[in-house]
This record gives sequence, structure tokens and C-alpha cells, in this order.
Amino acid sequence: MNRTQTNQTGKMQSELDPTAIDRILASEEELVPTSGFLASVMERVREEATAPPPIPFPWKRAIPGITLLTGTLGWGAFALVRHGLPAASELSLTPPHLTAAFDQSLEQAAWVALALGVSLFSWLLSKRLAGRSGLL
Amino acid sequence: MSYPAERHELAAASHNPPEKTAQADPDLADIARVLAGDVQAFEGIVRRWQGPLINMAWRYCRDRGRAEELAQEAFLRAWRGLAQWRRESSFSTWLFALAANVFRSDLRRFPAVDLPLEAAPEPSAAALQHHALAAQLNAESVRRAVLALPRRYREPVVLFYFHEMDVAAAARTMRLPEGTVKARLSRARALLRKRFPHLEAQHEEMEFGALNTGKEA
Repeated sequence: MNRTQTNQTGKMQSELDPTAIDRILASEEELVPTSGFLASVMERVREEATAPPPIPFPWKRAIPGITLLTGTLGWGAFALVRHGLPAASELSLTPPHLTAAFDQSLEQAAWVALALGVSLFSWLLSKRLAGRSGLL
Repeated sequence: MSYPAERHELAAASHNPPEKTAQADPDLADIARVLAGDVQAFEGIVRRWQGPLINMAWRYCRDRGRAEELAQEAFLRAWRGLAQWRRESSFSTWLFALAANVFRSDLRRFPAVDLPLEAAPEPSAAALQHHALAAQLNAESVRRAVLALPRRYREPVVLFYFHEMDVAAAARTMRLPEGTVKARLSRARALLRKRFPHLEAQHEEMEFGALNTGKEA
């Protein structure tokens, strides 16, 4: 079906005068779907319909872990603010010397960061393994 | 492509109570059946909308195989999200907006044309004896040039002509205000005119030539 003859009147906006470009772009041959298209869509729909529902996120099991992680993060932030900031302000007053307090808090922060990194890595690894096995 | 089904649906939705609308509108009836668990009822929806969605996808990518793949993906998304259709807009508006979203994100990952507008081929000058062929080639050059437009201008052009030059329908599909669509459309048309400055003159010349040939015959 050539759509050159399609109704252009009435809908054309006054500020959009028809030009050669309009005539070309408005006259597009209409594609007819291939014979297998409908069947192929319905096959995929049926596949989806019969597929088992996705496993819900195990909130009950995850809540203790999330609580622990939040607590650790909170504690880490608190420790950093409590020890790190005074040490840092001291450091700014005496730039060439690192105080013992700052050294200690920096070490603690590094351990916390390491622990968080290991947790994140194990979480990502477990997620990836679960994804590969089709659990997720 | 503003399909009659869309207009009928809008008219039906505004004049009939919900139960009558469901009876009169085959889409609404099929959706109700699908939501009640009848998977087969979705076939009716695909049957009615496969043409429009494939043609819409074709205008986005100009690749027949890809157009069908994109349309299939759009139908699957529609299947998954059917329960989320709030009935605030007509089914066709929802379906076209969803499909536009699918096409847009897919083409963002794998663009259909990756050359700038300046590099789009110039239409050839029409030799008098080959008017029809030259016209076809020119038309194809312009259609391909649309895909080379910057992204923000490309989609309004695609949807405006798909909806038979209906700015409101294009705006609904893009979920943008009509004014924004009009502004982008105007800019896109200016870019195309700048890219093909001789097209208008050539087109008129060819029309005049064809008219004279007709008279002589």
C-alpha cells in the first residue's frame, strides 16, 4: 500500500508546510509481517508463561547479614569520625608528623575497608555463581 | 500510522461504560482474558498489532529482519507488563510508547546508521528518462538520512510520519509535550532541508516533467 495518498489534510500543523521531504517521508511502503511472525511471538510468550516464576529474594535470610553489614559500616564511620578527624586536624596543624592516634585509626579503617571489600567480593561471586546455575 | 483501531478505541473508551467497552473493543476483551490466565488470548493482540509494530520498528532501523526482532521484543514486554497498563491512555498509546522505548534502547546499543548527517549520500540528479528510478533513489536517500539525524531529532521525525503527521500522537508515543515534539521536528526538518537543498526544486521539476509526459501521452 502506498501511503502517498493517505490523508494528510486536517492533521498537518499550520507551521509545518508540506515539502518534498514531507511527501517522501509520508509515503512509505507498508511491510507485511512474515508468515511465521505471529507463531514465533506466541511461542516465546508461551515459553514465558510456562517458565517457573523467579525465585524471590530471600529477605528472611538476608536481613541478619544486612543488619551486620550496616552495623559494621556504621561502626566504621563512627570510628573514623571519632579517631580520624581529630588526628587529621592535628595533622593539618603539624603537617610533617603523623600522630600515633591517626596511625591507629588509619590502620583500623584499612581493616574495615578490607573486610568490606572481601564481603563485596564474596557477595558478587555468589551472585555470579547463582546466576550461572540458573537460580537467579 | 494512526490506525483506525486506535481511534475506535479512544471513542469507545470515552462514550461507553467499562463493561460495554470491553465487549466492543477486542483489545480490552483479550487483555481481560490474558489477565485471567488465558495465554492464547494474547494471539489476538499480536494479530491486530503486528503490522503497526513491525512498520514502526522498520522506520527506526530500516532493516526488515531487525524490525521483526524488535517488534517481537516489544510484544514480549507488553505481555510481561500488561497488568501494569493503568488504562489512563488507550491501549494503542500504551503499546506504541512501550514499543518506542524498546526500539530506542535497542538502537542506542546497536545504532542502525552510524554515520553523521553530513555523510549521508546526496540524492542523484534525475535523468529525464529515469524519473521513477531517480525518485525512488532520492526517497531512499532521504529516509536513510533521517536515521543519521541526531538522536533527539530522529525520533520525532520517525514517529511524526509513522502517525501520519499527527504531532499529538507522536508526542503521546514519546511521552513528551507537543510543543517539544514540534520544536524538535522543526529543527529536524531544517537539518534535512539543509542537507538536501536541491531536493525541493528537483521534486517540482520531476512532477512538472511527469505532468508534461502525461499530457503528451
